[in-house]
Amino acid sequence: MDSNRMEELLQKYWNCETSLDEETQLRAYFQRADVPEHLKETANLFRYFEQQKNTSIQDIALDGVIVPGQHRNKTRKLVYNSLRIAAGVAVLVVAGWFLRHETKTENTAEVIVDTYDDPKLAFEETKKALRMISDGFEEAEEQAKKLNLFNEAQQDVKPKTR
Amino acid sequence: MNLEAFQNRVLPVKNKLFRFALRFLGNEDEAKDVVQEVLIRVWNGRDNMNEVQNWEAWCMRITKNLSLDRIRSLSRRQTLPIEIGFDVHQHDLTPHENTEQNESMQRISKLIAMLPEKQRQIIHLRDIEGYSYNEICEILELDMNQVKVNLFRARTAVREQLTKINAYGL
Repeated sequence: MDSNRMEELLQKYWNCETSLDEETQLRAYFQRADVPEHLKETANLFRYFEQQKNTSIQDIALDGVIVPGQHRNKTRKLVYNSLRIAAGVAVLVVAGWFLRHETKTENTAEVIVDTYDDPKLAFEETKKALRMISDGFEEAEEQAKKLNLFNEAQQDVKPKTR
Repeated sequence: MNLEAFQNRVLPVKNKLFRFALRFLGNEDEAKDVVQEVLIRVWNGRDNMNEVQNWEAWCMRITKNLSLDRIRSLSRRQTLPIEIGFDVHQHDLTPHENTEQNESMQRISKLIAMLPEKQRQIIHLRDIEGYSYNEICEILELDMNQVKVNLFRARTAVREQLTKINAYGL
């Protein structure tokens, strides 16, 4: 770009008539070292614009803060995912094993085992058991009668208020 | 929008958002906070992103609004002269670089920082980020006329200051 064309563009720039493309040309032109003396400060302005473009966030940690774990690369992701699947399968296998084990033991428990083969003997045994309970009750009743004596006595002793 | 789209389309703009927020706030930590909040908002609202036509301009607009909110709350908390806030660091400088040019950059940085807010935003969006007038309208929620008038005023003010510097070496 010759200096006449540049001066013309610069004039357009100050009048805000330049296109984005022409402004890019101006910035590129002023990056050169051999700028005419009277345009030194103008050159600095355009260099300043160019330089400011390079200002960036000096904080790598920022990305991690925004989306947690986004630095995770693909292989790590793959390992992570397959581990997740493996863990799921392991849980299913263990659960299945326990379930089978459980149903097996339940089946054996449900089978009713007869204690006596002879019905008469069974009847006798049952009678014996029932009699034992009945004896127990009888004994308890006697004790309860003794206690009742106290109750009655208390009723008599109590002054009749009504 | 999924994570991949977010990484490929939204994350690369973060530096633009950062520069824009920095232009408002003049403080890197505050600007970083704003960018983080913008990105979190975009990520959380990613399901509605399909309705957004120009998502980059949309992000910039959120940045603008959040930055303005922050300026308001900052000005309640403290009243520092604006020049102190606008001590913009230049990361890429090496000791070999020309000190004179360095000083000149500082001067220009201050000069732009002294512009009224609207003019400062527009000159930033146009001359540093290279947005079209339409996009600037969308980002700043202004009409075309206002954008052009403010850009003209900003450039004229900068030009006057530069002429002064050239003439008197100020």
